[in-house]
Amino acid sequence: MLETSPRDGASRIGQAEHDDTLLARNSRIAPGASIVVRIRRQSNGGDRYDTFNVPYRKWMRVLDALNWIAENAATDLAYRWICGSKMCGTCAVRMNGREVLACWEAVEPEMTIEPLRNLPVIRDLVVDRTPFENKVARLEPWIERPDAYTGFPEPLSHKQMKDASKALDCIGCMCCYSACPVIGLGDLTDFAGPAPLVQLGQTALDPRNSPVKVARSLALTGIFNCVSCYKCEEVCPAAIPIVSRVIEPLKAKAAQLLPEHARHSRALRRIIAERGRVDPGALVLRVQGLRAFGRLPRIIRLLLRGKINPLRTLFGTKTTAAEPARRLLGREVSQ
Amino acid sequence: MQILTTDVAIIGGGAAGCYTALNLQKRGIKSIIVCKGLVGKSGASLFAGNLVISGRLLGNSETQARNTAEFLIKYHNQFLIDQEWARRCGAWIEQVYYPELEELGLYFRRDDEGNVVTSPGAIRSIAANVQGNSGVPFMDLRRKQVIRAGIPRLEETVATALMHNRDGHVGGVFCLNYMTSEYVAVQARAVVLATGYSDRLHQRSTGTREMSADGIAMAWRAGATLVNMEMQWWHTNDIADPPSWQRMQVYPNPMLGSEKSAQMINSAGEEFFNQQNDDPLAFGPYTVQLKALAKQVHAGKARYDGGYYAGFNNCDASEVETYTTYGKTFRQLGLKFPEQLVETAVTSHYRQGGIDVDTTAMRSSLPGLYAAGGVSGHSNGLIGLATYDGKVVADGIFAAFESLPDRPISEAECEVERRRLDGLRSRSQPGITPVKVKEKLRKLMWDKVGVEKSAAGLRSALEDIEEIRLGVLPDMSISTRSSAANFEWLDAIDVMNMIDVCELIVHSSLERKESRGPFFRTDFPATDNRNWLVANVLRKLGNGLRFEQRPYQLPFFSPDFEVRDNLQVAW
Repeated sequence: MLETSPRDGASRIGQAEHDDTLLARNSRIAPGASIVVRIRRQSNGGDRYDTFNVPYRKWMRVLDALNWIAENAATDLAYRWICGSKMCGTCAVRMNGREVLACWEAVEPEMTIEPLRNLPVIRDLVVDRTPFENKVARLEPWIERPDAYTGFPEPLSHKQMKDASKALDCIGCMCCYSACPVIGLGDLTDFAGPAPLVQLGQTALDPRNSPVKVARSLALTGIFNCVSCYKCEEVCPAAIPIVSRVIEPLKAKAAQLLPEHARHSRALRRIIAERGRVDPGALVLRVQGLRAFGRLPRIIRLLLRGKINPLRTLFGTKTTAAEPARRLLGREVSQ
Repeated sequence: MQILTTDVAIIGGGAAGCYTALNLQKRGIKSIIVCKGLVGKSGASLFAGNLVISGRLLGNSETQARNTAEFLIKYHNQFLIDQEWARRCGAWIEQVYYPELEELGLYFRRDDEGNVVTSPGAIRSIAANVQGNSGVPFMDLRRKQVIRAGIPRLEETVATALMHNRDGHVGGVFCLNYMTSEYVAVQARAVVLATGYSDRLHQRSTGTREMSADGIAMAWRAGATLVNMEMQWWHTNDIADPPSWQRMQVYPNPMLGSEKSAQMINSAGEEFFNQQNDDPLAFGPYTVQLKALAKQVHAGKARYDGGYYAGFNNCDASEVETYTTYGKTFRQLGLKFPEQLVETAVTSHYRQGGIDVDTTAMRSSLPGLYAAGGVSGHSNGLIGLATYDGKVVADGIFAAFESLPDRPISEAECEVERRRLDGLRSRSQPGITPVKVKEKLRKLMWDKVGVEKSAAGLRSALEDIEEIRLGVLPDMSISTRSSAANFEWLDAIDVMNMIDVCELIVHSSLERKESRGPFFRTDFPATDNRNWLVANVLRKLGNGLRFEQRPYQLPFFSPDFEVRDNLQVAW
């Protein structure tokens, strides 16, 4: 039987995998059996997969397997780890296609280990953290106080720090950055990515920070490119509800502080509140205005594929969902 | 080879190193941080579980304020500490440290009503966000301060040797970026070693992967005087298995927001240590615990490497997990929390000893060389103390700045060091790998220089070390050919530092002919304040060494006995 941990329910999408504890895995693999580890080896010279048979030991983690290989089979294997106990966040790799912390995650009987995605590979499993670090630094994730500090301890409650406190659990492992499909699009968007947003959220969701400062940082994040797919939450080893407790609150802040950045999101919410349904035609019109007609080929494509329906946009009536939607979205929509 | 010039070269990116750089900058002095790992992510600072509330902070009573000082001097340092330094440090923590951290935005955990959550008792502590994880946001803040201040960082770059300038002062440091295999020399008016505790010299040890006593080894080779190298601290209840969780402790300290603490159970199922009952004054009761464990080991009810258990089965899960991270290990192991206990073992932890410094400025015995934080030999433990050192050393360098010569480092010395490192990399005939040599060293330290030591065991350890030097090191070779992320080369460099420092620890352990706190000599079981309430000073003489004793002043606290069996001494 697996033990389930008491984490906040709905926000723990994808946590089933994480609840697969070392002990549970332990019962699946017999002591003394071999596990098969395929490792992607990348360097200037090439890109290949090497396979190793590693003797299983009790409570074996991915890091134990990598250490065994580096000590016994491939002493030139490059992989990074510092603390070995889920604090430094430097040992993240992809195991069988999902991002894990090597020091924390149980081995699989057969596993393929690859470096994180969306970052340059230095060698084998070691990625260059610099692009991530530069993004974080550019967001200036620190506090600028609008008022003078009043002395220790200053007035502050955990209620006010609820979301920031979740973000403070971040260990900067970049699992989410590797898993994010929008980051995977490369330069197509200016999205900062989940990890830099969590790093920013540590201070941007802190009531002590100046809204002017927060707005300045948020303006650089491209936050509305986030599609709320929850991939980041699914892989977060620190169990941070990244979407619900960090990105969504940051989006709400951005909508309030930088309404021009939130045009698309605000228009969508208004349409839902007014009509009780998503109306793509209305969305295009409201976000792009008359500019939409300058892009005729695209409009035609959208028409042909049934993505927009001008008749429905112009003459369609609201559905019965409009009332509840207005109630749910009311506060934001009326802003 | 690249040569970078700055005012001060700082080796280490933990609490002491970062704070030194930030304070120097405030005073208009430039610095470069050389960090073997990543600033704020490597080294011991990351592991700070919680932060002790000293003095009269947060409504501490006069008694609690005194308890904090007594704890530091007695339980933490067994009186081997400059009490005047401790007093200055305590006052600074009370007046500057906490307000400064909070003003920067560090979140000291509150409850929903806005009260700072503390642990109860004679000595109280608070947490940055969560107890057990305080070092993570703390060091993340420092990392961002350093970035914000524009202080240059050489990360994943190992300092390998101190360099001298023409005046004979330490005036720089030779480094290797092991991600690119490029050499860098940093030339400066002064060098601050802030490399933390030596750690990872025993088979079971705390600390991060990269720790291999580099700071002590470099300082010793350059001729710096060391002190109290034998004074090794031990964690008593760290996870026995899996291996890299050996530094994860089932914290015996008081918990935030609860009246209870973890308990320790021997192989017969009997509780043998509970901080709340057994030693309320020892806030971090590690040495008290170690003595309790030693009695169990002697009674055959535990071993130093396992066979006893710790956990929170005396608590509710929510009581433990509201403010702490303590449940995470149990849960990941698949143990029922808090009902089930986990097997624990001893782990070598901080070293109280290190580089001998003048505590008013953190100057070492060598002109131009300073040491701050864990690598220095004046105190033990706690992230606040290491931070304070960063302030003291910055003030010290500022005061002496005009007298520190700005001269080029010796090219000949750089060349010698370059050849040494090239040599470690080019030995490519099949032989023993550096990782295996590390294992050998750690095993011999565990077996012969472990918790309980004796002259016979220590002498035998010296023979083993000699055998490794002569018989194993010449065969050490690496197979990594790539110049990118060459961790194996780094391991080979580590080995050379580890073996030197292991040897010094054994010599120092032989020299102190008593038992004191966590230092157990089976052939000298008594704590001897008549002869050994002294600093065990280790001076380099050519290729040899000499010991000297230096008494400690005892202005505020002193022991209340002359000679007593160490296991009967509370601290």
